[in-house]
Amino acid sequence: MNKLSVNLRVNGRGYDLEVASNKTLLEVLRDQLNLPDTKYGCGTGECGACTVLIDGEVVNSCLTLAAAADGREIRTAVGLEKNGQLHPVQQAFIEETAVQCGYCIPGMVVKSVGLLEKNPDPSEEEIRHWLEGNICRCTGYEKIVDAVKSASKKMASAEVKAVG
Amino acid sequence: MSSRILTDFDLLVPETVPEALEMLNRLQDQVTVVSGGTDVLVAMKFGFDTPYGMSLAKLAGLNYLEFDPQQGLRVGARTTITQLLESPEVKQYYPAIWESAVNFATPQIRNTATLVGNLLRASPAGDGSCAVYALGGKLVFSNEAGEREVDIDDLWVGYATTARNKDELATELRIPIPAANSINAFKRMTRVNEDLAKLNVAVNLTMDGNVCTDARVAMGCVAATPVRLRQTEDLLKGAEINEESLKSLMATVSAEITPIDDQRSTAEYRKQVSGVMVKRAIEQARDRVTA
Ligand SMILES: Cc1cc2nc3c(=O)[nH]c(=O)nc-3n(C[C@H](O)[C@H](O)[C@H](O)COP(=O)(O)OP(=O)(O)OC[C@H]3O[C@@H](n4cnc5c(N)ncnc54)[C@H](O)[C@@H]3O)c2cc1C
Ligand code: FES
Ligand code: FES
Repeated sequence: MNKLSVNLRVNGRGYDLEVASNKTLLEVLRDQLNLPDTKYGCGTGECGACTVLIDGEVVNSCLTLAAAADGREIRTAVGLEKNGQLHPVQQAFIEETAVQCGYCIPGMVVKSVGLLEKNPDPSEEEIRHWLEGNICRCTGYEKIVDAVKSASKKMASAEVKAVG
Repeated sequence: MSSRILTDFDLLVPETVPEALEMLNRLQDQVTVVSGGTDVLVAMKFGFDTPYGMSLAKLAGLNYLEFDPQQGLRVGARTTITQLLESPEVKQYYPAIWESAVNFATPQIRNTATLVGNLLRASPAGDGSCAVYALGGKLVFSNEAGEREVDIDDLWVGYATTARNKDELATELRIPIPAANSINAFKRMTRVNEDLAKLNVAVNLTMDGNVCTDARVAMGCVAATPVRLRQTEDLLKGAEINEESLKSLMATVSAEITPIDDQRSTAEYRKQVSGVMVKRAIEQARDRVTA
């Protein structure tokens, strides 16, 4: 099996790596870069625990070959906070008590950020349709939907403040 | 981690089409093409094994979607389901494709899965495949010697098997401009949205007022490949579309298919609902026009 040289930008930092040709991005993040925030649930694209943003688009890292992500910009849950401040989506998940065991949460948070960056004011229906593909065994989803709504409002008012 | 790890293979990452064609010519069926990877990487985690994988991730210039009012739609091999959803022309002229994209898998999968990969997976449940089958179209295959077009009617030769030759790369899907006064629509049935369909259907009818003059009806999950319902199409041609004709159509549909029992549904259920699904797809297309 061959190895390939890749450059991955993860959470703003560049990494030059040799990756085995059959490694998924998820395996490289967790095992080679020691970034265990992105989770393994099913390995087959169904649960969303492994969701990351690649060039701003939500993707299942368990179905992405690491070598195919060469040169791309990757963001994971730990990279969302800025200057020690949680991202408004992370903050909203805490405030709305949208977290129980927590296993699905990095994927849920990354997925929600992916929505709000494209559609800052989604309807409840849009939020629910978007969150398909991220499975939570604990919460029943209601609080998660509430958290996304609340983050969307907070981000809008922060925007107004910044402009005004 | 679990046993769902990829088999061992050497990965090739061509950056141009000629480079990819040279690799395919040299390695033939030793190499598995990985486009979005949403089908083939799952298969590789369950043991599907070839010595080489060839990722199309860096292949430049194949993720286009071009619409021309005379020529129709050209879909590059790397164009994703998300790109189809974001196209106003797809929504306006090819609502069957747009509707097949709306509830296709999940946002993550839609961002990586390609329409051409959907056709080449040759799954009887492929949503994009069903929609394109009703619209008609041609898939362009290239090898080092040149290119050829394969009509969608000749693409699927058996379960998960296509007319693609070992040295060929699919580069483009061409879908004709829908006939004037035609309507098309797609519908599917699933347990939950993220599931693969237990039944899907797409219709493309040319209308003269309320009379149907030409029809293509495609259905998935009822045979080894997606199928066209030829008897139903014949019955539609020349018929006025009304409650009565739609009712008699429903019986023809279920008589024409030979589904099986599998993990997503039973043969009996599929027979029961198939006619209703065709009826609803026609109504959906018609209502969209009058709306
Ligand atoms: C969780 C999940 C949900 C899904 N839900 C749906 C759904 O709702 N509806 C649906 O229809 N499908 C669904 N799928 C299946 C899959 O996402 C689609 O079939 C998708 O369109 C495949 O495209 P891809 O680019 O990922 O193909 P790949 O997996 O990369 O390839 C598929 C096949 O086509 C071949 N191939 C691809 N491109 C080329 C090319 N250019 N030239 C030559 N050969 C090529 C590959 O070798 C392989 O045999 C789902 C999959 C998952 C994992
Ligand atoms: S681990 Fe990737 S979707 Fe479940
Ligand atoms: S909080 Fe436990 S899986 Fe979602």
